[in-house]
Amino acid sequence: MTLAVFTFYVFSTIVILAGLLTVLSRNPVHSVLWLILAFFTSAGLFVLLGAEFVAMLLVIVYVGAVAVLFLFVVMMLDVDFAELKAEMARFMPVAMLIGVVLLMELGLVFGVWNFADQAGDLRQAVTPSLSEAHNTQALGEIVYTQYIYLFQAAGLILLVAMIGAIVLTLRHRPNIKRQNIVAQINRDPAQAMELKNVKPGQGL
Amino acid sequence: MISADLNIVLPELILAVYAMGALMFAVYTGKDATAPLILGSTAALMAALGVWIAISGSGAATAFGGAFIDDGFSRFAKVIILLSAAAILLMSQSYMERIGILKFEYPILIALATVGMMMMVSAGDLMALYMGLELQSLSLYVIAALHRDDQRSTEAGLKYFVLGALSSGLLLYGASLTYGYAGTTLFSGILETISDGKMPIGLLLGLVFLFAGLAFKVSAAPFHMWTPDVYEGSPTPVTAFFATAPKVAAMALFARVAHDAFGTVTADWTQIIALLSVVSMFLGAIAAIGQRDIKRLMAYSSIAHMGFALMGLAAGTMFGIQAMLIYLAIYVVMNIGTFAFILSMERDGQPVTDIDGLHQYSKAEPLKALALLVLMFSLAGVPPMVGFFGKFYVLQAAVDADLAWLAVAGVIASVIGAFYYLRIVYFMYFGEERDAIQTPMNAYNWAALVGAAVIMVAGVVNLFGVEALAAAAAETLVN
Amino acid sequence: MNGLELENFLIVAAALFVIGIFGIFVNRKNVIIILMSIELMLLAVNINLVAFSSFLGDLVGQVFTLFVLTVAAAEAAIGLAILVCFFRNRGTIAVEDVNVMKG
Repeated sequence: MTLAVFTFYVFSTIVILAGLLTVLSRNPVHSVLWLILAFFTSAGLFVLLGAEFVAMLLVIVYVGAVAVLFLFVVMMLDVDFAELKAEMARFMPVAMLIGVVLLMELGLVFGVWNFADQAGDLRQAVTPSLSEAHNTQALGEIVYTQYIYLFQAAGLILLVAMIGAIVLTLRHRPNIKRQNIVAQINRDPAQAMELKNVKPGQGL
Repeated sequence: MISADLNIVLPELILAVYAMGALMFAVYTGKDATAPLILGSTAALMAALGVWIAISGSGAATAFGGAFIDDGFSRFAKVIILLSAAAILLMSQSYMERIGILKFEYPILIALATVGMMMMVSAGDLMALYMGLELQSLSLYVIAALHRDDQRSTEAGLKYFVLGALSSGLLLYGASLTYGYAGTTLFSGILETISDGKMPIGLLLGLVFLFAGLAFKVSAAPFHMWTPDVYEGSPTPVTAFFATAPKVAAMALFARVAHDAFGTVTADWTQIIALLSVVSMFLGAIAAIGQRDIKRLMAYSSIAHMGFALMGLAAGTMFGIQAMLIYLAIYVVMNIGTFAFILSMERDGQPVTDIDGLHQYSKAEPLKALALLVLMFSLAGVPPMVGFFGKFYVLQAAVDADLAWLAVAGVIASVIGAFYYLRIVYFMYFGEERDAIQTPMNAYNWAALVGAAVIMVAGVVNLFGVEALAAAAAETLVN
Repeated sequence: MNGLELENFLIVAAALFVIGIFGIFVNRKNVIIILMSIELMLLAVNINLVAFSSFLGDLVGQVFTLFVLTVAAAEAAIGLAILVCFFRNRGTIAVEDVNVMKG
C-alpha cells in the first residue's frame, strides 16, 4: 500500500464519518464543527488529486466564511434544539432505507467508470504539465479568458446574494444616534456655543 | 474575438449593467422613494429589449466558446420572458404600494432574475446552465420572502429555498456525472459522445439527476410539492411572476438540454418526460378541486399546464417543440390576465384570495366578469378560445409521436381540470349572495385583464402568427 | 495514479451525497441542519468534479468546482438570511411547524 493510497483511505473515512456526524449530532454547534472537519479533509483529498488551488479555496471560503456564518447563525438564533432533535428518531428507519438503497444503486454504477471514447479529444482545457504551469497559474490562465462569461455571471450571483441579505435582514432603527463625521468636522464655536449673559442674583 | 462575443450577449449585458446602475442610483438618492421610477424604467427597458430581440435577431451564433447560444429558439423564449416580466412589473406596482413593500430592490432583483433566465435559455454548456439557473433561483428566493414581516411570505421563501437548493444539488450531481462521462461540459460535445445513439449507464444516471433537478424548477409532479405553498405565501405580484417568466425559462432550458445535449437518444428520455407529464396533468387537475384559495388553485393549474407543455417535449420531435412553445406563449398570456384580476381582489381594502368572494360578481362588474370568464374558459381549454388550440397542438404532437396513450390521458385530465375553472365561472354568474369583493383596478391591470381576454378570443383567427414563429424557433433547436 | 482509481473517489462522493440527502430526510424539523446537508451534497459534487478533472487531465472540472463554491457561498448567505427573517417572525426554525399554510 503506497502512501497515497493509505492517505486516501484515512481521509475518505474521516470525510464520511464527519459527514454522518454533521447530520446526526444533537447539538448544531457540533454539527458545524463536524462540517468544518469534512471540508478540511476533503481539501486533503483535493490535494491528493493535484488540485491545490481548489483545495485551498475550500479551506478559505468554506471553513473561513461559510462555516463561520453557520456558526454565527446557530448561536444568534436562540433555538431549543433538544426539542427539535427529539423527533429525529421517527424518520430514521425510512431515511436509512432510502440512503442505503440509493448508495447501493450508485455503487453498482460506479463499480467501473468508463469515459466516452471521444472524451480525450473533447477536453476544452487540457491540464498543462507541471513543468509548464502549476495548478493555480493554469487555472488563472483560463478563468479570466476562456471562462470570462461565467466568471462575470458568478459576480452577478454574489451581487444578488448581497442585495438579498441586505433587503431581508437590514433594519434601520429610527432612534439610534450615529456618528456624522462631516458634521463633527464642520462644527465651529459659533454653532457649538451660545453665550448667555447671566444676570447676577437671578440665574437663567 | 471578445467584442464579437459581447455583441452577441448585448441584451443580457445591457440589462445587467442597467440593474447595477439602477441599484447605485437608488442607494445614493431617494432609496425606496425611487422605487416607482425604477420599476417603470425596468419594465420599459425589458419591453424595449424584448421588442428589439424580436425584430432584430436573425441567424444563429455562439459566443464564449459555445457557452452561450443565440438562435431562433432562445430568442423566442427571451421575447416571452422579457415581455411577460415587464407586464407583471407594471401590474404589481399598486399592489406592492398598498401592502407597503414597494422596495427599490424589487424591480432590480426581477431584472437580475431575468438576466438569469436569458442565460438559461441560451445556455450551451452545463456550467452556463448552472450559473443562469442559480442567478434566477437566488433572486426568486429573495423576492418570495420580500414581505419580510409577514409569516407566510418568509415561510414561502424558506420552503422555496430549501427545496430549490435540494434540486440544484441533484441537478449539479447529474451535471458532474455527465461531465465525467463526456469529458466536456459543452452540450455539443456531449451530443458527440452519443452520436451512435447508445446511452452508456453513467451518462444515463447523469441524465436522470439532471432531469430531476429541472423537473423541480418547472414544478412538474412528483417534484411539485413546493409550488402550492410558495404560490400562496408569496406576495401576489411575486406569485404572478413565478407563474410566468421562470416557467417559460425552465421549460425552454429543459428542451434545450434534452435536444442539444441528448438529442440522439430521444428514446431514453421521452419516456421519463412522458411520465412527468401525465403525473403532472392528473395531479394538477385533481388536487385543485378542493382548493378555495385562488392562488393555490393557480399553483395546481400551473402544475397541470406544465404537464401539457411537457407533453410537447415528450414527443421528442420538432413539431413537439413547436407545440410546446405555442403552449407556453398562450399559457403566459392567460396567466398575466388572470393574475391582473387576482391582484385587484380585495374586501374592505384588504387583499383577499378566497374564491367565495366571487359569488354574484357578474352583477357588480359585468365587463371584468366577462373577461375572467373568457380567461377561465381558455385555461380550461374550452374549444372556441385560444387555450384550446394550445392543448390541441400538444395533443397532436403526442399522437404524431405514437404517444396516443399520453394524448388520451391529457384529454381526460383536461376534462377533470375544467371543473374547477368552470366552478369559478359558475360562482360569478349563478352563485348565491355572499360577502362580495371589490376589484378596483388601475389602467395597467385593467388593460392586462381585458387585453388578455381579447387575445384569447381574437387569436382564434391565426394565433397572431405565433405558430409560424414557433415553427421557425423549433427548427433551430431540433435537427 | 499511485494505485488509486477514479472509482474510489466516486464512491466517497456518492456516500457523501447520500449522507446529504439522508440528512435532509432525518432532520425534517431543523432547517440549519438541512442547510448543512445541502452543503454536504455540494461538497460531494465538488469531489466528483475534481476527481474527473484529475483523471481526465482536463481543468474544466476544477473551473466548475470554482463556480460551484462561489454559488454555494451565495446560496448559504441567502438561505441564512431567509432563515433569520423566518425566525424573527415565528420564534422557531422548525419546518414542521411551518403550517400557517396547509397542503
